[in-house]
Amino acid sequence: MLNAFLSSTIAMATPVLLAALGELLVEETGIINIGIEGAMLSGAFFALAAAYFTGSILLGLAAGIAAGVAINAILGVLVVNLSVNQVVAGTALDILAIGITGVFYRRFFGITGKAFMVSPMPRIDFGPLTRIPVLGALVFHHNILVYLAFAMVPVVGFILWRTRYGLMLRAAGERPEAADALGLGVYRLRWHALVASGVLSGLAGAYLTLAYANTFVENISGGRGYVALAVVILGRWKPWEIAAASILFGAAMALQFGLQALGTQVPYQLFLALPYALALMVLAGIGGQAASPSGLGEPYTRL
Amino acid sequence: MLWSLLKSVVAITIAALIIAAVLIALGASPIGVLFALCEGAFGNWYALTDTVVKATPLIFTGLAVSVAFSGALWNIGADGQLIAGAIAAGAIGPYLGAWPRPIAIAAMLIAGAIGGAIWGGICGWLRARRDTNEVISTIMMNFVAAQVLSWTVHGPLMEPSRAYPQSRLIAPSAHMYMFLEPSRLNLGIVIALLLAAGCYLLLFQTRLGFQIRAMGRNRRAATFFGIPIARLTIGLLALSGALAGAGGAVQVSAITHRLYERFSPGWGFEAIAVALVARLNPIGIVISALFFGALDNGSQAMQRAQGVSPVLVQVIQALVIMILLAFDTPAVARLRASFGVGAPISAAPQTGASADA
Amino acid sequence: MLIARDISRRFGRTLALDRVDFEAAAGEIHALIGENGAGKTTLMNILAGRVRPDSGEVSLDGAPLPAGSASRALKAGIAAVNQSPMLFERFSWEENLALGGFDTSGFDLKKVADRSRALAERLGFELPPTGASIEQRSVADRVRLEVLRALSFDPRVLILDEPTGVLAPSELAPFLDLLRRLRGEGRIIVLITHKLGEALAVADRISVLQKGRMVARTIAAKTSEAELARLMIGQVAISVPEAARITATDAVALKISDLFLNRDGYRVLDDLSLEVHAGEIAGIAGVDGNGQTELVEILAGARRPDAGDFSAFENGSRGRSSLAVIPETRDQDGLVLDMPLWENLLLAGPLLSRLTPRGWLRRAGAIALCRELLARFSIRAPGPDAPAAALSGGNRQRLEVARAIACDPRVIVAHNVCRGLDIAGTAEVHRILSAFAAAGGAVLLISSDLEELLAMCERLFVMSRGRLRETPVAERDPSRLGLLMAGHWK
Repeated sequence: MLNAFLSSTIAMATPVLLAALGELLVEETGIINIGIEGAMLSGAFFALAAAYFTGSILLGLAAGIAAGVAINAILGVLVVNLSVNQVVAGTALDILAIGITGVFYRRFFGITGKAFMVSPMPRIDFGPLTRIPVLGALVFHHNILVYLAFAMVPVVGFILWRTRYGLMLRAAGERPEAADALGLGVYRLRWHALVASGVLSGLAGAYLTLAYANTFVENISGGRGYVALAVVILGRWKPWEIAAASILFGAAMALQFGLQALGTQVPYQLFLALPYALALMVLAGIGGQAASPSGLGEPYTRL
Repeated sequence: MLWSLLKSVVAITIAALIIAAVLIALGASPIGVLFALCEGAFGNWYALTDTVVKATPLIFTGLAVSVAFSGALWNIGADGQLIAGAIAAGAIGPYLGAWPRPIAIAAMLIAGAIGGAIWGGICGWLRARRDTNEVISTIMMNFVAAQVLSWTVHGPLMEPSRAYPQSRLIAPSAHMYMFLEPSRLNLGIVIALLLAAGCYLLLFQTRLGFQIRAMGRNRRAATFFGIPIARLTIGLLALSGALAGAGGAVQVSAITHRLYERFSPGWGFEAIAVALVARLNPIGIVISALFFGALDNGSQAMQRAQGVSPVLVQVIQALVIMILLAFDTPAVARLRASFGVGAPISAAPQTGASADA
Repeated sequence: MLIARDISRRFGRTLALDRVDFEAAAGEIHALIGENGAGKTTLMNILAGRVRPDSGEVSLDGAPLPAGSASRALKAGIAAVNQSPMLFERFSWEENLALGGFDTSGFDLKKVADRSRALAERLGFELPPTGASIEQRSVADRVRLEVLRALSFDPRVLILDEPTGVLAPSELAPFLDLLRRLRGEGRIIVLITHKLGEALAVADRISVLQKGRMVARTIAAKTSEAELARLMIGQVAISVPEAARITATDAVALKISDLFLNRDGYRVLDDLSLEVHAGEIAGIAGVDGNGQTELVEILAGARRPDAGDFSAFENGSRGRSSLAVIPETRDQDGLVLDMPLWENLLLAGPLLSRLTPRGWLRRAGAIALCRELLARFSIRAPGPDAPAAALSGGNRQRLEVARAIACDPRVIVAHNVCRGLDIAGTAEVHRILSAFAAAGGAVLLISSDLEELLAMCERLFVMSRGRLRETPVAERDPSRLGLLMAGHWK
């Protein structure tokens, strides 16, 4: 019981964490990426489709990444090069992804009734380690993407706060005109972050279909991209806190599944609403807004 | 002005051409799809009336989005506000049996408007007093609303038989007046049209409307000339929420007669496309909502006839939004000027910021 | 040798630089002087690759520089320091410097700090404690940090835009010494300033920009402050306008008492008091950035002073609605460019109340008023329904003045009201304001254009560092006024 809960917590936290780390990168360069939900959903569908048709998990992952990057590239043209309203553009991409994945899904799988399934991504075999109480379920019970997601936490933190390149990324979000005056190339830096975020959200989507559900249903991402937005706020733009917030979300999800299965009277919706409500409180309280990059969401045009 | 209207037509045309290419790639016939869409939306009396029925909630949410956007408040939360309104209406609906019908219906609408106003007003207060980006807060409130709805239909408002996660039926006296049955036409569309006229008057014929538009077009100048930005922000998001919430109440009163999970298929998001195509003009919202309502309605027939998923409509929505966004950028304005179409509005980049500097 | 040839650049309708030539040699401090809006900063931005010129080219030591690339300009050895420091507020100062030119392979912030301290010591700076973010630093600290960041590129050319404006008098001498030392290292120093004494004290040669044209290049040793002031300001006719003298009365129309305003740890407004009488045009001269914008914002009600008060009087009784303010940045603060002209009238509070009785907009009334104003003030516009953006700068300004007068105020405060207007447009705005004063109104004209003030105002004040000083008629020659504006108040 406890083992199932712990294992499920990590499994639910992983896609949110991957997407949130990507969102963190993009937000640090000054772009608020509402389209992250769309990138995740596209990643989920195209990863599964590629894995299904080629039989290769690896090609599936590659397709998921490509789909995530493609969605972010559309966003890049709109918000970086054309400086349009980031919010409206991002929302459009979310709608686009729901549409495109839905149309393709029903065209190829909806009518035929073929089972659109792949075998799950294998767990990494840790041998006896898996049987360690508590720790086994928490740590040694997952597939490669889970470890990748958590390994990315220090990596993203290191890049953003321990390298000059990360400083340049943050400079682009803090005060773009000053960054351009130093010759840092704001447009280029924002594109880098968008591509990186596309990779991570594509992987997050691929995780949902290849490792978690092993199939696709329409709108499978189900708002996890928006959860990632909330998690970045909850984690106050710091990678380790974001990881903690993701695990909190995973635990809330795992708990509500458990409660539903047990048929208790505790309203499980409370847990589902928790990340959003907490994010709102962080934003409303002191420190939330102060931790976000100064130039976040501002359209910026070079002279 | 002419170019402004033309933009929407051109955007839809470009979107249609892209869709046609996609359809050919998918092995479907664009002409066949177009024909099936029209057939499904306008092909017979029932289809025609149902197009109006499907457009009704879009008019409400479209108005909600357009008044907020007019004040440069980026309300992405019309969906949550509509749900909040529906919950309020659905909660009181079963208890209105003893009331005369017009009063019961009015009570439903007022409850819906209040529910939505609270949902939107919270975000307005957060923006005005806590400097919280309304984009994020309205998105978060969408999900909170969805979970509150889920909780109410599983819990306090669940039907007495507890067979399905849905609320009790509202009292018959709270049912909206229906026209031309068996069609689903109802008084809701009339209310929507009146509200559209009301929003038009508010925005373009009153002092308050002028202040809203001045705040939206140039926040700095509005501040300089003493327009009360903070009060306006709270009031405007509450009004926006009230419009969406009233739409939720109409839907409960006229169509569903009860609440259930996933009550809204995304009317609050589709509203963004509706509002942008209408260039935020409340009268234009009616036409634009009818267009998207027709697409929604026709898409079922399209699936039956051509085997293309109705979610194709969402691809169209997204493309129209993106093309219209691109049309409004200085780069495209210059390009346009070089072809002599329309005068560039200004050399300075327009303020479209979602957050204050 | 830094050479710029035939540089032109247009922003919208204004020609910021008109076929400008500029050169500065190795081992020289070259001062670039000029009034506000003369094009100094634009020229710096073009030299530093931040703005692409419409025509002309820049070369350094014979090698042409690619236009509009800040990173290439930095690589070629041109670094620039901005008038208002372009620092990253929430980063630590080490991080700000790490974005400069020090070798940061390995990204060792401690190494950056050490190298910065070494450089700062050599230059006679003090640096803040480790890890301090920029937010809490004083303006003087910020300027020093930005100079340090520019020097971290070890540039061949260092351009400084008004760097001394925020330094305390005691900090000035060491700073000028620093510039001399950098010159001694064989660098090219371009010092943009409006302080003539400073230019003469430190520069070898001086170039003068006037309204986008390069009007003179002289050797510092062979000129004087008086001559430079004349060159900078151009031909000025000294006269006291007859109209103002005749109509001025004793009745106080605007009384400003003891205004104080602090920001970022320094005084923006320093015990500012002023009375303007009905029927007169009073003027405030000064270089931009000495508190004028804040004063106007306070008078408009958009900003609160830390202390002090002001009142407008009508027949002896107080009333704020009898005060109309015309802001300096008309396109940002004064107008909503994509709204029609008649709606722009409604921005002014009194007109909004008058034209929206009980909250309902009297559209026909507003359009009629707009049409009347367009005719009365000869504003060239397609009609009341045209967007404000469709008007030329001069006509936009006339619209703002017309709007102010339509409010039927007792006092008009106008800030840089004729900036960017041609001669005819300027004359028209002046005629309107004079007529307003002649009819018993009071005008407070705040401007950085001396010529305008001398032509319009009987009483003239000079504003410097948030303080105000009245100038008697005897003091009104360009070189004397130039010195006063530069802060020489003895």
